[in-house]
Amino acid sequence: MSGDVELHLPPDVQYVGLARLVVCSAARQAGMAGDRVEDLRIAVSEATTNAILAHQRASETRPVVLTFGPTERGTFEVAITDAGPGFEPASPGSAAGRDWRDENGLGVTLIRGLADEVDFTRGEGMRVHMRFAMELDGEHV
Amino acid sequence: MELSLNHRKEGDKTVLEVAGEVDVYTAPKLREKLVELVGEGHYKIIVDMTKVEFLDSTGLGVLVGGLKRVRAHDGTLALVCNQERILKIFRITGLTKVFPIHDTLDEALQDQG
Repeated sequence: MSGDVELHLPPDVQYVGLARLVVCSAARQAGMAGDRVEDLRIAVSEATTNAILAHQRASETRPVVLTFGPTERGTFEVAITDAGPGFEPASPGSAAGRDWRDENGLGVTLIRGLADEVDFTRGEGMRVHMRFAMELDGEHV
Repeated sequence: MELSLNHRKEGDKTVLEVAGEVDVYTAPKLREKLVELVGEGHYKIIVDMTKVEFLDSTGLGVLVGGLKRVRAHDGTLALVCNQERILKIFRITGLTKVFPIHDTLDEALQDQG
């Protein structure tokens, strides 16, 4: 990602809406198609929610960091980094085999279903790096 | 960001109108409302999401929780939703197979389920 913008959010769930607003405004400004912005909006909400909740569970007061911007290869990318112990990205990645009564793991299922590519990297905390094409390619749900 | 909730009886069913954004910040309000309705004996609930502007997995989790509660009383929880961007997240998570989802409130009210 070049020319990225960074957003530092206090670990409080009231800021998830702000994250959606800022990242989606940047994506629209970069030329992302409307239906793609809606996919991005949900994925950003999921990853930011997970990061903030991870900080809260760990009583971590440092901010959650979002880094985002368009790339030279024509994608829009968002990386969300937390310092908490994080969630388990190996939890079900698709609807297949999920028990509907299990409310956990829905967020990761959505991130995997909406982003074109996603990497979960465990460091001190968790880093979720999502890539979105600017236009819907028709292969999505 | 606001979430507004209004409910009314329609025959033997209870319609809960949800408007605004349902995320981790506002979802507790929706969860409380569903718990309250079931506690008051409303077991046939229709959640009208026509005016929902945003819903993510936290909101889906609350709806799943509501469904579990009404089913414990042999009740039903149906949804009214005609917005593609919201239907998409129900499809990705496989929840279209779990909730009856109707295009219109009239259709939901006529459903005998």
